[in-house]
Amino acid sequence: MNEIICPLCGKSNPPDLAECQYCQAPLKTGGFLAEPEGEGEQAAPPSGDTEKPSEKAPAPGPKSSLEAAIPDWLKQNEASFFGPPDVSAAEPGSGQVSEQIDSLINPPARPSEPAENAIDDDWLASLLEEAGAVDNRQAALPQKPETNRAEEALTSAPASEIGPEFLAEDGELPAIPTSPAEKPEWLTSLEAASKIKFEGGIFPDETEPTPAPAEPQEEIAPESPVEQPDWLTKAGPAPVEESPNEAVESPKEVDESPKEAEAKPGESEGAVAAAELPGWLEALRPLQSAAPSGPVEDVSGADLVTAGPLTGLRGVLAPQPSAIRPQKPPTYSIKLKVTDDQQTRLRMMEELLADEEKPKPLPSRPIITPRHIFRLIVAIALLLPMVWMIISNSQQSVAPQPGSVPGVVDFTQRIQALPANATVLIAFDYEAGFSGEMNIAITNVLSQLMKKNAYLALVGTSPAGPALAENSLHSASSNVAGNAAAYKNYANLGYVPGGTLGLLGLATAPRNLLPYALDGSNVWAGAALKPVTAVKDFAAVVVITNDPDTARMWIEQVGPQLQQAGTPLLFIASAQAEPLIRPYYQAVPAQVQGLIGGLIGGLAYAQAVGNYQPNGTWDAFSAGITISILIILIGSIAGVVMKLLPAGKKKEL
Amino acid sequence: MKRILPITNAIVAAIAGLFVLLGYFFPSIFGGIQSVLIGWAIILAAFALLLGILNLALVHWKKANAKDPGGGYSMVLLISLILTLVFVGLSGPTGGLSLWIFNSFQVPVEASLLALLAIILIYSIARLLARRPHWNTILFLVTVVLVLLGTVPLLFVGEIAPLVAVRDWLSQVPAVAGARGLLLGVALGTVATGLRILIGVDRPYGG
Repeated sequence: MNEIICPLCGKSNPPDLAECQYCQAPLKTGGFLAEPEGEGEQAAPPSGDTEKPSEKAPAPGPKSSLEAAIPDWLKQNEASFFGPPDVSAAEPGSGQVSEQIDSLINPPARPSEPAENAIDDDWLASLLEEAGAVDNRQAALPQKPETNRAEEALTSAPASEIGPEFLAEDGELPAIPTSPAEKPEWLTSLEAASKIKFEGGIFPDETEPTPAPAEPQEEIAPESPVEQPDWLTKAGPAPVEESPNEAVESPKEVDESPKEAEAKPGESEGAVAAAELPGWLEALRPLQSAAPSGPVEDVSGADLVTAGPLTGLRGVLAPQPSAIRPQKPPTYSIKLKVTDDQQTRLRMMEELLADEEKPKPLPSRPIITPRHIFRLIVAIALLLPMVWMIISNSQQSVAPQPGSVPGVVDFTQRIQALPANATVLIAFDYEAGFSGEMNIAITNVLSQLMKKNAYLALVGTSPAGPALAENSLHSASSNVAGNAAAYKNYANLGYVPGGTLGLLGLATAPRNLLPYALDGSNVWAGAALKPVTAVKDFAAVVVITNDPDTARMWIEQVGPQLQQAGTPLLFIASAQAEPLIRPYYQAVPAQVQGLIGGLIGGLAYAQAVGNYQPNGTWDAFSAGITISILIILIGSIAGVVMKLLPAGKKKEL
Repeated sequence: MKRILPITNAIVAAIAGLFVLLGYFFPSIFGGIQSVLIGWAIILAAFALLLGILNLALVHWKKANAKDPGGGYSMVLLISLILTLVFVGLSGPTGGLSLWIFNSFQVPVEASLLALLAIILIYSIARLLARRPHWNTILFLVTVVLVLLGTVPLLFVGEIAPLVAVRDWLSQVPAVAGARGLLLGVALGTVATGLRILIGVDRPYGG
């Protein structure tokens, strides 16, 4: 069944349509008839023909080689040209074929349609391929003798009988162009040369009778989708008339080639002699194409490709089938393979972890342990005698004497040496917890100062200093005047921040550091503090501290200025700070002019000023120290004994 | 800017430290500027105290909001802080309410802690030899007992003069020698640190 292939979309259309049923493109002018199924291979390039000769449909009858090479679409046109099919396709003779060829090679020239020229090239390529295959292969034999069996069969034929050698320079038949853009250069030059020769009257006279069928060809030509160029119209008849004689001369070689065997019936009749070249065409043969342009690799020993698009070629690098072979990727199971032993260990680990997460109850501890009992015994042993001594106002122990406590006498003398209405700076730099130890000394000192109506400037480098100062002042005031708020000759300047720097600032510029008292009054404008511009202007400086470092800061930062002015620096220290302050007192010259250390020093000072009040405090203190020594000794001995005993090694208190 | 600022800080710190140091050697020349710089430092120290109180409050506020096991104590601290601020703000630093809070809470608490410390120390010393029987322990125990014996007249025994002398020697020679040694080390370290800060090697102020 013939169909018209749309030149635009490439789809098949029924032959009776004038336009493509898919894209509405005109089919009569641009389309061409599709080849019937099974005949396409015959119109395929010669390379394919050489490999699969059996697939080609055998010729229905004796035909010439050129007639056998005519494609079916051309036969169709030919049939429509000559008349009914029964007349044209039954038994075409050599003369009829010649007329057909003449009608084909003398179509009305239509140079304005390049698409039709391209079609002409295709059929011309196939025509030349079929007609000149023998010549091409023969020319290629010296270089590639093992191209195929058909080529080997053609090697014995004369070159002049097979065809022009330049049509197949390398013996590669697929080199025949199938489109105008791929037309080889030598064919283009052949076209131009043929026109010139024809115009010059070189064409032989035997071809002149053929113009007869030109008239019906002109009538059919507008309907035919294919046309031929002018050069081919003029040059075509020459080889056609000469081919019969040449083809008959070599029947044996043709029999050896499968391809030629296909065209054998036509050749036996001597209808086509495609290999014959006229003299003028031989003269136009390009010499460069005949000679090899460079060294040619010998691929005679290479393997022959038997499948795929490169079938029939040798020396082709074989692809790696394994590399490009599509295959399903291997499937791996995501399930973890665990052995029974591993599962057992996993269960054990899970049980261990589960046990770790469970809260374990702590071992119940008894509320009362031997340790608690021992602590309770120590506390009771300490507290009971002390409480008893205070309650009973015991006077068992002798009160400390001022002479037996270093610094107390000097302290007393310095206070006694102060003039009346003297301005005294008192620093409260001790912690509130030490109040019980230091209050006796503080109260007695303040009482002595109040008796002298001294103006007291109270400061503190501890945040609790101002409150401690206020409390101590009230307590002393109660002792002196019987009224806590009776004494007004003082100024609580408040807290001195900055530690060492604060003390240095206080020593150099107390007005700038503490311009106002805690009540907001400008005490520096008062009569008592007006002459004071530095700390050395005070009559005395009394520092109350429980910290040896604080005492050292006062000695280092304030002491030098006081020494220059001869102002005494007096300390009331706790028992823990007294040993470290005493070297400053015992130094020569002394950096500390008086010292009261701890409860002993307070009581000694009270004895010195005649204000000692036996209230059992001293006996309680003495009893506490004595009991403490006893507890330490008894506990240590008991511990050693229990350590030495076998049972004591296992059980400790 | 990242390079200029640290260098500027170092220069300012070195110059300030140098002026304060020179104020000790040449008080008539550098005494004034020394007083000014010290005054600035004291103000900064006072502000640091306020920042410390604020930070303490914030830390305990977070603890109280986090409902931790110790959050109740943090809440007690915050309430005490607020009440003290209110009372002291109303009556002044040395007012009646302020002194009542001070004498009723701070003084007894601190004195009780010291009393507990005394009991715990005695208990620990009594168990020390049983827990760690060593010559050093024995030496420690002997020293403690001798100092206690020489501090006060023993109950029903009275003062023992040799023990008082031993106590004075122990407190004034070995104890003060050790303390002075420590102080000398601290002083040398302080001098070295001061010099490093003066020349800009140490930059505790950042940079």
